[in-house]
This record gives sequence, structure tokens and C-alpha cells, in this order.
Amino acid sequence: MSTRRRAAERRRRKQRNLFVAAIATVLAGAAAVAIALGHGGRTATAAPQTRPVTVTGASLPAFAAGTTDPAVGGAIPSLSGTGFDGRAVRVTDDGKPKVLLFVAHWCPHCRREVPLLAADLRAHPLPAKVEMITISTGVNAAAPNYPPSQWLAGVHWPTTVMADDAASSAAAAFGLPGYPYFVFVDSHNRVVARASGEMPVTEFRAHVAALT
Amino acid sequence: MSPNTVTLFFALLALVCNAFVIGVAVAWLVRHREPALWNAVLDALGPSALTLAAVIAVVATAGSLYLSEVAHFPPCQLCWYQRIGMYPLAIVLPIAALRRDTRAWIYPLALALCALPISVYHVLLERYPSLEAGTCDVTNPCSIVWVRHFGFVTIPYMAASAFAAIAVAMGLTAHARRKEHTHVHA
Repeated sequence: MSTRRRAAERRRRKQRNLFVAAIATVLAGAAAVAIALGHGGRTATAAPQTRPVTVTGASLPAFAAGTTDPAVGGAIPSLSGTGFDGRAVRVTDDGKPKVLLFVAHWCPHCRREVPLLAADLRAHPLPAKVEMITISTGVNAAAPNYPPSQWLAGVHWPTTVMADDAASSAAAAFGLPGYPYFVFVDSHNRVVARASGEMPVTEFRAHVAALT
Repeated sequence: MSPNTVTLFFALLALVCNAFVIGVAVAWLVRHREPALWNAVLDALGPSALTLAAVIAVVATAGSLYLSEVAHFPPCQLCWYQRIGMYPLAIVLPIAALRRDTRAWIYPLALALCALPISVYHVLLERYPSLEAGTCDVTNPCSIVWVRHFGFVTIPYMAASAFAAIAVAMGLTAHARRKEHTHVHA
């Protein structure tokens, strides 16, 4: 092997060693920083985020946007459950018009809708005879923005909240197709309208006005 | 070790990938004005770019498997499309690097360039969920942000960083190969 080729080979080997050292340094540096700064993460919560729910009556058919809703005019099933604080929450035929809102803590659309509605509801509360109940459903402890109780408390959510069970029975009984999900119910316990997805506040208010 | 620690590790590596891409891109953009800089980058990184890309692909694949199998973050539809781009790279690139087969640069480049727009779209979807739909799919919508570090590094952002770095590394490999051939034939 000529001297020049040997020198070139030595240079290549040196470059390779340098490269391996650089890669190892980057990986070790990133690992050290991650270990130093990355502990913690999810907040532990003592309160259960799902609670038993009893559904009575026939479930509503699954809602499909863009079609005539077969549930409109039909009676809603009754729900009996509890809030995050353990207090009893019921959705029953009590002669009051109702707005039911189903939200999932991890859903980006719910996370955008809830603060907007919270601000509007605090500034302009619903008419006294209209009852609004929020059902926290689709709970997943591994998903973002957990726990839902902390999320809703953080935005000062002003309505009664019911915690759905782990199987999301309340959501299934109301034919939920996606989050957020609204069900507007008249004083005769009949469905007036259902909607899935983010809803502008003006549209929400128009639905509420139709109930009174 | 918590998922937060592990994802922070991958987020830091994504930033290193970003620095690599930006550094090479700047050197390439000013190559006519500063040919010495571009030559220095080619000499320093060109011969190792294939190995670098192999390391990025293997680490990204390990990260992807960690997120789904250990941290139990279910991959959404777009995640699967990105996996289709990354997983073959984790096999093809180490083989090419071990064999020092610099002719193989075109295949990983094609895969990385096909997958990169998917990652970019996924990042946009996380930022603007309404691009997908106005509602969250009950099962596993692509707009869920499972991880966010430094305010902007999410899982698809990490994937986009890896694909961009692999594409740039393949470009460097091609340039270095051309330069070497020019020298040999000169």
C-alpha cells in the first residue's frame, strides 16, 4: 500500500471514529438532559374520573350529520349517575328543557369549544328554566389533558357535570358519533336537535332559544 | 422511566435533526458565495451521511415502537402512513451503511420525501384540528396531541424532523459521491 493511500485510510478511520464519538455524545447528552428535566408529567388524581351510570329507556339511534335525524321528536333515555364530587346527577323527565353536552378531555375540538362556551355561559347564563348538563365521557387515563375533572375546573365550567362510566354508556345511549356532542331536549323530554362537532356560540344560543 | 422523560429525549434529538438540516441547507444555499464552507460540510459529513441517516431511522423506529407498545399511545391513521415510510428505512439504511453502498441514496430519499408531507400535514392537523373535521372521531382522531415539548415538538413534528434529516443526509451522500467520482476521474 502506498504512503498516500495509507494516509488516506488513516484519515478516513479518524473521521469515522470522530463521527461515532459525535453520535454517542449527542445521544448521551440528550438522554442526560431528558433524565434531568423529564420527570413528572401526569398529575395523579385521587377522585375517580368515571362513575357508574344507569340508563333507563330506549337508546337514541346513532346520530349522522347531514341526514334527517330520526331521533328528533322521540323521547330521550333517563340517566342516573354522579358528578366528580360524588353528588347525584340525573337526566330525567322533570318538565324542564335541557341541553346535554358530551365532551372528552382529550378531544382537541372539545378543548377549543369548552372555554368559549364557558366564557359565554358565565357572561350570559342560560334562562332559569333551561337545565344544562355536561357529560364527561370517553375518559382515557393515558390520553392528553387527563383528568377531565381538573380540565373542567380549570376553565371554571359553569354547568352541572356527570361522569360517564368507563364503557361510555351514557354517550352510547344518546347515539354519540363524535365529540363534542350536543342534544337539545324540550320540556316534554323529546329531542329537538342533535349536533356533533364544534358549534359557534351564536348557533348554540339559537338552539337554546328554540327550547324556550 | 416515564413517557415524559423518554419523549423529551426524542424531542431533543428532533431539535438536533432540525439543527443539522438548517446547517446543511444554509451551507448549500451560500455554496456559490462560500464554496469553502460547502466543501467543508461535504468533507465532514458526506462520508458519514449514510450512517447518520441509518442511526436516525433506527432511533425513530425505536421511538415509534416505544410510543405505541410501551407508552400505549395508539397510532392514528396518519401515524401508520408515516410508519410505512420510516420502518423500511430502519432496515434499508443500516444495510446500505454497513455495505457502504453510497449508490443506494435514491431509495431512502424517495421514501423520506414521500413521508415528509404526511408528517407536515399531521403537524398542521394538530395545530388546526378543523382541517380534519369539526368533530373528534370517537376512536382515535389524528388531531390528538399526545406529546408536546418546548411548546411545539409533537410526535409528527419529530417524524417530520427525522424524515427531513434523512432526506438531507441522502442529498449529502449523493453530493459526496459525485465529488469523489469527479476526483477519481480527474
